[in-house]
Parts: sequence; structure tokens; C-alpha cells
Amino acid sequence: MRSFSEYNPIVVTVWFFSVTGIAMFSSYPLLMLISLLGGVLFFTVRNGISHGKEHIFFWVLFLILTLANPLVSHNGKTVLFVMNHNPVTLEATLYGLNSATMIVGVLYWFRSFTQIMTSEKLLYVTGALSPKLSLILSMALRFVPLFSRQSVKINNAQKAMGLYKDDNIIDDIKGKSRVFSILVTWALENGIITADSMEARGFGTHRRTHFCRFRFRGSDIALIVVSIALLVVTAFSVGIGSLDFSFYPSISVKTPGKLGIAGIISYIALIMIPIIIETEVSLRWKYLRSGI
Amino acid sequence: MLLIRNKELRKVIKITVPFVIIPLVTILGALVFNEKKHIIISLAVALLSLLLFAAGFEKKSTGTRRMVMVAVMTALCFAGRFIPFFKPVAALTIITALYLGGEAGFLVGALSAVLSNFYFGQGPWTAFQMLAWGLIGFCAGILSKKLLKSNVILLLYGALTGVVYSFIMDIWTVLWYNQSFNMNLYIAALVSAVPYTVSYVVSNVLFLCLLAKPFGEKLERIKTKYGI
Repeated sequence: MRSFSEYNPIVVTVWFFSVTGIAMFSSYPLLMLISLLGGVLFFTVRNGISHGKEHIFFWVLFLILTLANPLVSHNGKTVLFVMNHNPVTLEATLYGLNSATMIVGVLYWFRSFTQIMTSEKLLYVTGALSPKLSLILSMALRFVPLFSRQSVKINNAQKAMGLYKDDNIIDDIKGKSRVFSILVTWALENGIITADSMEARGFGTHRRTHFCRFRFRGSDIALIVVSIALLVVTAFSVGIGSLDFSFYPSISVKTPGKLGIAGIISYIALIMIPIIIETEVSLRWKYLRSGI
Repeated sequence: MLLIRNKELRKVIKITVPFVIIPLVTILGALVFNEKKHIIISLAVALLSLLLFAAGFEKKSTGTRRMVMVAVMTALCFAGRFIPFFKPVAALTIITALYLGGEAGFLVGALSAVLSNFYFGQGPWTAFQMLAWGLIGFCAGILSKKLLKSNVILLLYGALTGVVYSFIMDIWTVLWYNQSFNMNLYIAALVSAVPYTVSYVVSNVLFLCLLAKPFGEKLERIKTKYGI
């Protein structure tokens, strides 16, 4: 029993890029709507009703993006009204609405993605792509708290020596920049020592092994196979043109054939996978607790 | 571990990506998608070039010391992005490139984009940000002799990269919004981004002014002391 965020990071990444990839590269309004609703649903399933500010930001952005297109682009047949001698058309407004739905949907997905992919998981995924880059990333991540701790130490030492006061702005800035300068020198020297220590322990003599918390289990393989299969169906139906929609010069809807419907259904299924997993886990948890 | 462990495979990637796949993607993209979906092509090219760089870097034997220096500079960039309004990332990338070479500059720019976006929001723009900052560093590395000679040229380069960064990111904004390139939208995006462009230019010039010399001395000292 694992929640979606506890699956192998590679699986989670593949799933996220399938969902957002389809949302970004298709322009079929129904798919955009599904992606936006799914994104909002997934975000609220994970976070409850908190994060009010982010929701407000996203929806203000939605409004701005919708209105931006008809003000700039004047394509389209149906003129709603004329502003500053420029026609504002229905088609351009709907096009803006469609783009806004896509962008805000993808933003919601990436907000959840950033929450799920902690730096540890990122290192695992980049380690699969390039061990050396992942090592640099992990060292940089480790340096940030180290530097902030060291800067507190330097700051205290400088103050104790009576070198600056922080109630005088000019003195404060001068003192702070001296602390920063000392910190940089220390950081570079410390980096050299780290590098020498790494080499002394045999870094670079053969392939690097690393501690790894994540393994591929049966359910991981099942999830990755299912998401890739659903992605292929949707991508095929988008790519072959059975989910086409054109806004200009006038809106023309082609009723989607069997393949189009299959694409839409598989996209819904793809988006529902983690939501189903989360609900199933929480239901089972409640059931187990009620049995005690 | 998974992708680029195999030496042969690395070699294949290194040869095919720049000479075969990237041009193929561009041409096929233009033909198949009827010039409508520039976004797919641009994202694919950005990702492929990052992959190419990773493959090249993986193959080379970079010294451990140099690698740790890159990590130190990346951490400083990452911390610097928390300063409100003025961001020293591009300036620090340029300084790194001047003293440690273009490759180190590319790495610092690209990696600090990925890392800091964990706090500032990851998104499809990350690939473009990585490429933009990385290229700013890489070009600084190529031009390092001229930039080191005169302070004025260095500050001009800083100001120019601030503008170029904004222009690149706005191309991406338009492509994402509209799926194909639209000049009106691009101009609108550029105009609405003017405050940001100004802040990029000001912070690049400001931080290059403040940091170029002291950082240069420190890096130079480390280089002569330890022979990197």
C-alpha cells in the first residue's frame, strides 16, 4: 500500500511528462479542459483546501491570459465589438480561453510535481541520466546549508572582534560584504579540501556507486507500462489528426471518430491513475483502522 | 546509470545528436506540423542540446577540484536567487566562465536554474532557462580574453545578456501561449516584460561591478595556489 508520491521517481516523472506533454502539444479544447480539471483535482486531493493564495494567483493569471489574445490578435470572422479601430473577435477570445486553460492546467500539474519531486528524488532521476551532473547537484545542495551556517559563524566572529555594528546602515553593508567575501574565500578553499578528500578515498578510480532508497517493484513496472500505453494511444490519436480543432477563420468542430474517442478516454484514464491510487489508499487505511 | 553508462552509446549520442537528430527534428517538425507547432520543435531542440552537453561532460575527465568549484559556484548562485529584485545568477555565471572556462560557466548557469526552480517553481520553462543561462556562461567563456581585458566591455556584455535573456524567455512565452510564433504577441510580451528586463540588466551590471574584481582575485588565487 503506497500513495502515488511513494512510487519510484522515474515512474512518477514519466507519468507527469506524459500528462503535461499531451496538454502542451495538443490544442483540442476537451483535452485542455480535462487536464485543467485533473490538475486542480489532483492538487486539492493532495493539499486539501489550503494554498488559497496560489489558487487566486492561478485564476487571476487565467483571466489575464484569456483576455490577452483578443486584444492582440484580430483574426476570426465573428466580430463582437470594435475597440480603438480594432475588431475584437469571438474566435480570438475562445482561442485565448483555450490557451489559458492549457497554461493554467500545466501550472497546476507542475505545482504538484514540485511538491512530489523532492531534491532527493531529483538526484535519483538525474543520476540515471548522468552520474557526474547528479554529483555536482547533490554537492551544491549540501553546500547551501553549510554556507549559511558558516556565514553565521563568521558574522559572530566579526562582531566579537568589534569590526562592525548593525545599527549603522553604511557600517552594516560594509560589514556584511566583508562577511560575504570571507565566506566565498572559505567556500572555495573548503571545496578544494573536499575534492582532495574525495580523491584520497578513491573517487574517479572506477564507477561510482551510490546509496539508493528507490527500487523498481512490481507495482512500479505495472504503473509505468500502463501510463506509457495510455500515452501512446492519446498521442497517436492527436498526432494522426483525429482530434483536430481549428479556431480561425471560424470555429470548426470535427466530431471525433472512434480513435479520437479512444484518445480522450485514455487521457482521462491517465489523469485518473494517481487520484484512484490516493483514494484507494486512504479508503483502505480507514477500513483497516475501523477494524481495530 | 541507465542511459549514458555505456561508452559506445555515449559515442553514438555525441555524434548523432548534433549532426543528425537536431536538424532532423527541426526539418521534420516544420514539415509535419505545418509550421504550426513550433513549441514542440523548440522544446525538443532545447532538451536535445542539454542532453548533448551532459553526454559530452560525462565523457570528459574533468578534475575533481574543478567539479567541486562548479558545485560551490552553483550553490552561491542558488543562494543569490533569494535576494529580492536583483538576481546575481547571470553575473556569477559570467564570472565563473571567465576564470574557469566556458564549460564550467554553462554548468553553473544550467544547474543553478534546475536547483533554484525547486523553490521558485519547476515548469516547462526550466529547459529554456537552463539553456539561456548556460549559453550566457558558455559565450562568456569563449570571449573571456576580451572580457577580462576591459571592464567596460565586461559590463556591456552583462547588460546585453540581460536583454538577450529576456528576449529568449519571451520567445518561449509566446510559443507556449500561441503554439506558433506571432509578432504582435511577442511585442506585447516584450513590452509587458520591460520591468523584468530592466531588473536583469541592472542586476547584471551591478553584480558584475561589485563582484567581478573580488571574485576574480579569489578564483585566480585558488587557481595559482592549487593549480586547477
